[in-house]
Amino acid sequence: MLGIKELSLFFGAARILDRVQLQARPGELCVLMGPNGAGKSTLLRTIAGEYIHYRGSITLNGRELHQIPVAAQARQRAVLGQQLVLQMPFTVMEVAGMGRYAYYTRETSLDKAIVTYALQLLQVYDLKDRSYLTLSGGQQQRVQMARVLSQLLEAPDLDGVDYTGRKMLLLDEPVTGMDILHQQLSLQLATRLSQQGVLVLAVLHDFQLAAAYAQRIFLLKEGRLFTQGDVANVLTSAYIKSCFGVEVSVLHHPDCVYPLVATSPAGALFPSPADKAINVY
Amino acid sequence: MKQQARPAAYLTITAFTRLGSISILSILLLLVIIIATGTGAMHISPAQVVAILLERAGIRLPVAYPEHMVAVLWMIRLPRVILAVLIGAGLGISGAALQGLFRNPLADPALIGVSAGASLTAVVLIVLQPWLHFAGGNMWQSYLQNIITFAGAMITVWTVFRMSVYGNRAVISIMLLCGIAINALCGAFTGLMTFIADNEQLRNITFWTLGSLGGASWQTVLAVLPFVGLPVLLLPGMAPALNVFALGEQEAMHSGVKVNKLKTQLIIYATMAVAAGVAVAGIISFIGLVVPHITRQFTGPDHRVLIPCSALAGALLLTVADLICRTIIAPAELPVGIITAITGTPFFIWLILKDKRVIAV
Repeated sequence: MLGIKELSLFFGAARILDRVQLQARPGELCVLMGPNGAGKSTLLRTIAGEYIHYRGSITLNGRELHQIPVAAQARQRAVLGQQLVLQMPFTVMEVAGMGRYAYYTRETSLDKAIVTYALQLLQVYDLKDRSYLTLSGGQQQRVQMARVLSQLLEAPDLDGVDYTGRKMLLLDEPVTGMDILHQQLSLQLATRLSQQGVLVLAVLHDFQLAAAYAQRIFLLKEGRLFTQGDVANVLTSAYIKSCFGVEVSVLHHPDCVYPLVATSPAGALFPSPADKAINVY
Repeated sequence: MKQQARPAAYLTITAFTRLGSISILSILLLLVIIIATGTGAMHISPAQVVAILLERAGIRLPVAYPEHMVAVLWMIRLPRVILAVLIGAGLGISGAALQGLFRNPLADPALIGVSAGASLTAVVLIVLQPWLHFAGGNMWQSYLQNIITFAGAMITVWTVFRMSVYGNRAVISIMLLCGIAINALCGAFTGLMTFIADNEQLRNITFWTLGSLGGASWQTVLAVLPFVGLPVLLLPGMAPALNVFALGEQEAMHSGVKVNKLKTQLIIYATMAVAAGVAVAGIISFIGLVVPHITRQFTGPDHRVLIPCSALAGALLLTVADLICRTIIAPAELPVGIITAITGTPFFIWLILKDKRVIAV
């Protein structure tokens, strides 16, 4: 469904993405990982249609991205960005309702039902009349998630509709700042969406969350696709060491179905004060 | 802690439905129009005003009025009140639209150079008048003057807009900075023109800079009408997109808003509405800033309500301000720009101080 070939992106002379190739199928929950500055967010935003000056090709269901009108794009993919600054005191209900923009000219009862459903699913329905500006960071994030969900859904029900090949969800660090309960809820929600055929592509930093939820992991480094594959193949100490520069052990525990990534003691990353002193003089 | 103490202030007033607030403001505006039309050197009672107006429409009311009253109302009062309504509506609606575009409740039409460009053009016209001879007499000349002033404002805004384009899209923060620069440049040239001007021109310039509706006639009303009418008709249709735009440009694009088209249209309509007013009546400050702000306190930030209500409230406020200006020191007249600035500036300062906590964070 999503095909990326030889994708490069320049900002001025700086090459941010370097001949990235990747394929993702409908119903897959894909996770993008990589060190800071590897181009994860940029890749996600390019797929979201923000940078139309990319080289190479991005195809959605066989159509080149920049040939698809903005409104049609919005009806087949929803995006949850990293930083959202909203200065006007819209209510929670109004903010979530903005997700339906691509569908309505007049607000219908279906739109309302979907927004209500999404707010309930993210457990923020009881805040629906509060001003968005008075919410905590984590609550705001859940409202934004509800907005994005409203944009994706076609019925006020997660299970009823088959979205295979029609919907894509892009999430840029969706759970940063959420408590552990809502992290799990959000990613379980993403899993359920992928079971309905939605292609989910999420940037995550947490190995444990990635190991628990990803069906496929794309590892980026310095603008290139470093490696890809399922959890067992990608989350190995060798790949993590060469991609992130950190010594880790990948542990398997009988109570846990996915591998656990444990870092070595933090001190090992930096030279000891004595070594530093020698380097200076 | 403070947030907990006064949550009510942050709740939007949902009881004011869209139609409710629009009809309340419309009724208020109608009342103010009737009162303002009746007030002046010759007093005309509200009943007489209604009777005279309806008589034109063929409906006779049993109210007596002398014949010369009809002439005063029809030729002097009504054009002026209508002009105030039009210019006020234009300022209010473009303020609301631009605050939505800049995603900032403190934005003002003056920021992107509308007022500065219009002022400079008008002042240049005043100074160059002895050398310019427009064909077709006085009326044609005043028409042409309005159109040129409007064109001047358009050119400034277009320059600011073009300067802020980077990689196929207008960057709003750069647009604000360019607006400041262009404002300063236009201010400098306006100063230069003032320096060259002779005594009589200087009086003209001063009067114009202070803003006044004294030049109202049916011709000026007709000259302004399309420039205000078009935005008033078209901007409410862009309200849902503007709501989504509040999330941010990229988010609006992700949600299906054609961002570039929206920005271009908004800027053109807002400039139209403001520049036509500036061309006819000079600089009337703070209406574009204050009106959407007050309106938002009652309607909440939803542009579907805010935009039509800002137009109505702007019309209301300028009509009242103009009424005060022409009656407070009668038979002389105070420039209306002075009243709006004197009342608007403290309000603006209060807004900033009130939101200091939010702004500083």
